[in-house]
Amino acid sequence: MSTTTTTDYLLLFRGNVWDRGLSPAQLQKVVTDWMAWFEQLKAEGKCAGGHPLEEQGKVVSGKQRIVADGPFAESKEAIGGYFYLTVADENEAIEIAKQCPGLQYGSVVEVRPVADICSIKQRAEDYSKRELSGARA
Amino acid sequence: MNTETTTGEYILLFRGAHWDRGLSTDELQQAMDKLMAWFEELNERGKIKGAQPLGGQGRMIAGTDSRFVVDGPFTETKEAVGGYLVLQADSFGEALEIGRGNPALRYGVSIEVRPILAECPIFARHPELVRRVKESATQAEPALAELAA
Repeated sequence: MSTTTTTDYLLLFRGNVWDRGLSPAQLQKVVTDWMAWFEQLKAEGKCAGGHPLEEQGKVVSGKQRIVADGPFAESKEAIGGYFYLTVADENEAIEIAKQCPGLQYGSVVEVRPVADICSIKQRAEDYSKRELSGARA
Repeated sequence: MNTETTTGEYILLFRGAHWDRGLSTDELQQAMDKLMAWFEELNERGKIKGAQPLGGQGRMIAGTDSRFVVDGPFTETKEAVGGYLVLQADSFGEALEIGRGNPALRYGVSIEVRPILAECPIFARHPELVRRVKESATQAEPALAELAA
């Protein structure tokens, strides 16, 4: 094993009805390919885990903490599942995402770097630092 | 992937990554303190399986054969996912209540609460087919093991 640094990425799979209209043969191929893809990534140590999400869920928002049904069950944007990747760099994460067997049937894969620190927490710290240095000046 | 349908795990997807805009330093500090306290309390109760913020840069990959790669998502939007938290909860109701307790909601964050599954719903719609695929994978295992060795 080399000592190259690794970076974590999340693949978000969007679209949850792309199986509609596929023939049994197409379905069989995509199921086989997807399972083999996942198992191979795990065996290579590039995928720490992944799960599908149930289609029904709720969305909470606002000061009143309103609970609404969602996301929309049949949507190209809805997140259907995710893989957690540990790879060398963004290019490797993108290359892996491009192998997703659902792509040819309309699935979309979002590739996002996992951050060490929340950007809002970072900004909060920056603000207070700036304020402290302003107070000293 | 196993065939269980429930995992007892729920994911909270936090949408709207710029809720801090327009808050004063004091307000932001108070909000962060409340948020950290919310998180720590859940962590102490053993409810948190994992949580990460996501970086603003990303790519969207799509397309039938050309498989194009575009910049995105646009993390300035209220819909973009800014981070996630995986909960271990007794029920969907408990996960939902935990989500409702998040202090950033009042600043415009929205939280999607979704049960995590062991089996993909798309695969679950075609159980016979998945069974056949798994059977043939089991038969092919010796060959795969040889390849991996």
